[in-house]
Amino acid sequence: MQLALQGANQLLTRLAQAILITFLAVAGMLSPSEGSQPLHVGMELSYPPFEMTDTGGKPTGVSVRLAEALGEYLGREVVIENIAFDGLIPALRTGTIDCIISSMTATAERARSIAFSEPYLTTGLTLLVGKDSPIKSADDLDQPGIRVAVKIGTTAHKFAARDLKRAQVFVLNRESAAVLEVIQGKVDAFIYDSLSIYRHHRRHPDTTRAFLKPIREETWAIGLRKGDEELRQQINGFLKQFRADGGFEKLGNEFLPEAKAFFTKNNIPFYF
Amino acid sequence: MQQMSRTLAHTIVALAFMALLTLACLQVPGEWNWSGVWEYRQKFLQGWLVTLGLSLAALVLSVLIGLVVALLLAARNPLVEAVGRIYVELIRGTPLLVQLLLGFYVIANAVGLENRFVVGTLVLAAFSGAYMAEIFRGGLDAIPKTQRDSARAIGLTRWQSFRLVILPQAIRLVLPAVAGQLVSLIKDSSLLSVIAISELTLNAQEVNSFTYSTLESYLPLAVGYLLLTLPLSAASRRLEMAFRYER
Amino acid sequence: MQLTIHHLTQQFGKVRVLDDLSLETGSVGSLVLVGPSGGGKSTLLRILAGLDVPTSGTIEIDNAGLPRDENGLRAYRRTVGTVFQSYNLFPHLSARENLILPLVHVHGLTREAALEQIREPLERFQLAGHADKRPAELSGGQNQRIAILRAMVVRPTRLFLDEPTSALDPEMTAEVLDMIEALKGTGTDFVLVTHAMHFARRVADEIAFIGDGGVLAHGTADAVFDHCDNARVTSFFTKVLQ
Repeated sequence: MQLALQGANQLLTRLAQAILITFLAVAGMLSPSEGSQPLHVGMELSYPPFEMTDTGGKPTGVSVRLAEALGEYLGREVVIENIAFDGLIPALRTGTIDCIISSMTATAERARSIAFSEPYLTTGLTLLVGKDSPIKSADDLDQPGIRVAVKIGTTAHKFAARDLKRAQVFVLNRESAAVLEVIQGKVDAFIYDSLSIYRHHRRHPDTTRAFLKPIREETWAIGLRKGDEELRQQINGFLKQFRADGGFEKLGNEFLPEAKAFFTKNNIPFYF
Repeated sequence: MQQMSRTLAHTIVALAFMALLTLACLQVPGEWNWSGVWEYRQKFLQGWLVTLGLSLAALVLSVLIGLVVALLLAARNPLVEAVGRIYVELIRGTPLLVQLLLGFYVIANAVGLENRFVVGTLVLAAFSGAYMAEIFRGGLDAIPKTQRDSARAIGLTRWQSFRLVILPQAIRLVLPAVAGQLVSLIKDSSLLSVIAISELTLNAQEVNSFTYSTLESYLPLAVGYLLLTLPLSAASRRLEMAFRYER
Repeated sequence: MQLTIHHLTQQFGKVRVLDDLSLETGSVGSLVLVGPSGGGKSTLLRILAGLDVPTSGTIEIDNAGLPRDENGLRAYRRTVGTVFQSYNLFPHLSARENLILPLVHVHGLTREAALEQIREPLERFQLAGHADKRPAELSGGQNQRIAILRAMVVRPTRLFLDEPTSALDPEMTAEVLDMIEALKGTGTDFVLVTHAMHFARRVADEIAFIGDGGVLAHGTADAVFDHCDNARVTSFFTKVLQ
């Protein structure tokens, strides 16, 4: 008898669940919400392992995975738009894209034009230094006669333009050119984020040195249009859940295992 | 329609273009942040001066290079002609971007030439010089053979023939094409930004990124280049008028 | 002048334009070369004027051999004058500047002396009023006449004229031919290549018919025009003198 009651209970619960799910699904399909529209995510696919393409030309990387997880969470299809870094904010403002997930630092200046989600990653500006350069520590950076390279549009660029009064700043539009200049001794240091600097140093161990302790800490966040409050709340919710589920741990292990090990070993704070 | 004066016609059409452009600009959503651009006017000026200096130096050099290479191309010695021909084909057949990157990071690096302004100017001059050489060669070829015969017939030496007879005529022939090439050179100088030379285009891009503007920097940028190219075109037309064969 | 040409050959690549040409003239004031196009008369004139070097053969003019090296030839060219069919004058210079150019740059006169030297010839041939125009502003006939003047003002030993009227219309042809006839009157020797047969007959002391790379007929005007027994020559004249 008890078994029969239990069985009936289960059946009813299941039935209720089924009705509820069907109702919700139908409701979801009928409501004219943004939920059904694809989410256009802008990023510059030239920043491995966060934004890059695989050998087949498909977008991949930490930010791409994050975008896909976000899409799943929101129930929307994700379209990755490959846009040059300093074109991302203009594209967001004109509506070409709905959000920016491109390892973008949340700065007060950018916050004047766009809104940001909660930060999802902490990093900082670090230095790639030529082996023959006179720079021995971060204090040697802003000295007369020191030549510094930055990539146009990055926070390093802003930092150099505002805060480096005595050193000479060279603005390049390619990361690879900046690294080459360090290696060839045409500049003393390249200021960029810690992960890239680490990787470049690994690739050129004999000609460069890396100062990985950030001279300036920064956080990355997802960029949104000002006033797009609903999406912002949704994204913040997503980030919280993703972190709780260990999503970031998994990304770190998948894309940055070596760097993670190195940073942990050397007491440099890792990203997530 | 009455015969309109040239100046009036030019003014009307220029104003019409500007009106169309303004109309197009107004279609772009979002406000225009002109104050940001005005704040950075110093950067525009600095960039403009760098572009001016670079262009002038490269201009003069490229004419010289063009002359020398044109003479190489006209030489009877096959080895000499080959040097000229290979130079022209290589330079004209590869993008300036590639020449700049290879020139600065590979060649200049190998010979220890560090100064990026010098290297940038040299690469730009060498690039333009190849086109100049072809223009000069075409000009020289266009002079009828009897001119050389006449010069020889009155007993002029080869050098005298060249200086008194061939060169003045060649200059008149090539003037429009040379002016066109020089205008191109001024615009091509914008590419020197890839080796971090702080010329006008790079500065405008920086201002754009500092102020998160979409287009505001590009309009002063266009004006900046026009300030350099228009006088050049005008001067060239003036010279063409002066050197015409009819008075 | 007296010309002695022995076994002259001029070869350009595979083409033999002059083939073992020989000619010996008497002492003449004017020699006219006539013949079909491509027959070699212009080629011969260019060699006589010192502009081209023959492949082989000898030339003596007034018992002096023609130099064979470029320096020698240039020195020779300075002593003679040459006028081509067209584009003689330098278009970027006025007629006056064209005239003084050889005087100043080749014969070492000062600009003032040169200007003085050309004054009288300009007036004599009624060209003084056009002297400051550029060739593009002059008619074809005026151009050729200035070209002849330019050849004349350096006081050459002799003149070479290569079809000076072939590019002109009949009216301009006449004014140029008049000038050449006037030159004959002043005692300037010349070698003329022309298609103007009636004029050739009138001014020539001797005529040479150049065809197929050689001399097909040679003699006084009468001898060549009326008493030639070379069929080729007579048929040419019949056609041309229609």
